[in-house]
Amino acid sequence: MNKTWLKWAVVSTPALIAAGCATYPDPATTHRIAEKMVSEDFSAPMPTLLKRLVQDRSQQICSKIGDAKLTQEEAAEVVTLARASIQYPASGTLVGDWKVGNQLAHDGAGDRIQGGILEKRKENGGLCQNCHALAPGEINVGNVGPSLTGYGLQRGNSEAIAKLTYERIYNGWAYAPCSNMPRLGANRHLTPEQIAHLVAYLIDPQSPINRKQ
Amino acid sequence: MRAIACRFALAAAAAVVCGLPWATALSQGKPDDPLAVGRQMLAEDNPGELWIERGRTLFYQRRGPKNVSLEQCDFGAGVGKLEGATTGLPRYFPDTDRVQDLESRLLTCMVELQGFKREDLVKTAVSPAGSSGSDVESLAIYITSRSNGMKMNVSLGHQKEFDMYKAGEYLFYRRSGQTDFACVQCHGEANKRIRLQDLVHMTDKKGVQEVTSTWPAYRGAHFVVRTMQWRLSDCFWQMRLPELNYASDVSIALTTYLHYQGNGAVIKVPGFKR
Repeated sequence: MNKTWLKWAVVSTPALIAAGCATYPDPATTHRIAEKMVSEDFSAPMPTLLKRLVQDRSQQICSKIGDAKLTQEEAAEVVTLARASIQYPASGTLVGDWKVGNQLAHDGAGDRIQGGILEKRKENGGLCQNCHALAPGEINVGNVGPSLTGYGLQRGNSEAIAKLTYERIYNGWAYAPCSNMPRLGANRHLTPEQIAHLVAYLIDPQSPINRKQ
Repeated sequence: MRAIACRFALAAAAAVVCGLPWATALSQGKPDDPLAVGRQMLAEDNPGELWIERGRTLFYQRRGPKNVSLEQCDFGAGVGKLEGATTGLPRYFPDTDRVQDLESRLLTCMVELQGFKREDLVKTAVSPAGSSGSDVESLAIYITSRSNGMKMNVSLGHQKEFDMYKAGEYLFYRRSGQTDFACVQCHGEANKRIRLQDLVHMTDKKGVQEVTSTWPAYRGAHFVVRTMQWRLSDCFWQMRLPELNYASDVSIALTTYLHYQGNGAVIKVPGFKR
């Protein structure tokens, strides 16, 4: 009798542990497992490129899972870091050439890695067309971000608007923490001069984006 | 003479049948999506079928240094059983002590059973555009086709499956790189597009089911069949991140997360993508 009980216990206890204890890992364990994967599962032609996978403080805060919301403190920290990151062109002028900006807005290339090769160009494209509606009538535009059609018509081209526009492209998280908009200047995807060209494209009355419909 | 007449009749019938999708799509009046017509036409005569045939041949052929077929491979439904096997993938396999998706499992069998070198397989797994495709791509779509009409049913039981699922969820929301993108930046809302390309809404049950049921797929722009491994690596490319290693845990974690979310989807391959 005793023996039967013992046999049952010996056989089924490990099975019960295996079946009963398997469950969702806690967030700290998940973090550890997933970050280990990230550190092992990517390749790059130059080791420095692997640093792109390392999150900065703001990216860590902005990676909320599911419907989890930012706390007020977290949002404030992201805004503070963003404000501190913004640099302006050496020339001091925030409004460049809208024609150059127009080209940049429609350029989605630069800095991608494929087949062990880094797509290196003198300057990266602005990527705007991927996510934003641009000049009236343009069809090949995305809608992940808000429409920019008539951007300057609605806001004018004052110095204050130029500065706000520049900063929102350089690091939009200064105004909308953790928004989908890439921090194009702070991340060094675009140079300050390129961003000034995009500002001109957005606010210059002559720019196609402000053509009256 | 009769043969010619017959051929004529067939051609005429084909013309009528092939013309139908045009008529339907146009009569539905979708002025906002002129691409729908072409997409539907191609989906109904999917070149991916050719890859399935090639995969079937490869599967039963004696191949590799050990000169054996893949019939002794266990894809999770039991040794040699392909019916419904991909409905449960990714899953934990005791022999490798890992959670594996279809493609990583395929690599295991091609290495262990057939004696191929893993690095050779990985190097050629994703074929160049316009080519006749890789063996792994053909085999992946053939094996998946044997689950056609069946529902996705990924289960979490082993601790490593739970870990993989949660890691996938974490990675789906993990932002990094110079675009500050995670998956959710593009795939977290309905009716979004990158330029003209529709983005699948993956935090929605119906959207994620579209993902789980239509890969591998014939990719029109590349003239080849593409797999889930390719789909994931292409996203990381656009995100400006380093290259995702083929069949790595990051890829399997994301696939586990998406497939589990998409349970209940009826598998229908070859899918068709633009």
